[in-house]
Amino acid sequence: MNKIKKLYPPGDFGVWIIIYIELITFGLFFIGFTFSRRAQIEIFNSSQLLLDQRFGLVNTILLLTSSYFIVKATQIIKSINTKESFQQASNYIISAIGLGGVFLIIKIIEFTDKYEQGINLSTNTFFMFYFILTMFHFMHVVLGMIILFNLYNNTKNGLYTIEQHRGLESGASYWHMVDLLWIVLFPLIYIIR
Amino acid sequence: MDCFVSIDLHNKVIMKKITIIWSVLIALTVFAFVLGYFKILNNFFIFLLLVTTFLKGQLIIDYFMNLREVQLKYRILPTIWIVVVLVLVSIAYYLPVT
Repeated sequence: MNKIKKLYPPGDFGVWIIIYIELITFGLFFIGFTFSRRAQIEIFNSSQLLLDQRFGLVNTILLLTSSYFIVKATQIIKSINTKESFQQASNYIISAIGLGGVFLIIKIIEFTDKYEQGINLSTNTFFMFYFILTMFHFMHVVLGMIILFNLYNNTKNGLYTIEQHRGLESGASYWHMVDLLWIVLFPLIYIIR
Repeated sequence: MDCFVSIDLHNKVIMKKITIIWSVLIALTVFAFVLGYFKILNNFFIFLLLVTTFLKGQLIIDYFMNLREVQLKYRILPTIWIVVVLVLVSIAYYLPVT
């Protein structure tokens, strides 16, 4: 069966321009990281050993689950609009915000741990990339959570419906981008050596 | 009434599919972690890790971002992004250091 494709991506087109720009920016950092590694493989490998991969694992699971909740909330709004469905969808969104909050707490613990060990941006090239990439991503998570909180309020108040849910889809797409970036960042920084 | 039953059924099918996608994403993440944690990282496993990273990214693009239902020109952009990044990562990893 040939399914007719939609003309535009979900949500506002402006959000997608931001998403594409963010992907390119992070992509350049990822490529910069891997090619810088070639020049200092020993330093990169020994520095990576100082990271706790369990933090990376838990944070990836948190972001994936948070994104999953947002998909569920969006799907509920797109299929049925009752008082219960608004409540159910907003519960999923607030849970997603909660998981984002735990992600940030874990990142703060990780950053604090590194600073206590005397590791900072100027320690070496690996840690320069580590801090720039993860802090930059951290800021995106914070912004994403602010957007999600706005979506939560609107969903709870029944502002999104089957016919009109572009705002919800825009915010959701941004949150999935934050997830997508972390999916590449996790193996690059924590695993590959 | 039939219409509501049909919507409900359609919704359940989509929700089930999304839950399966989420489970696959979690499983692939645990796989990546196991490779790193137990340092099972030779050339083959690094290649496998990059392939599974691509798969995870594509699942997010298609099912979470919902771009599978959109015209190819919009769907292809994040796919090109992830392919270019991972190919360059592979080149940087596999190219002999002189």
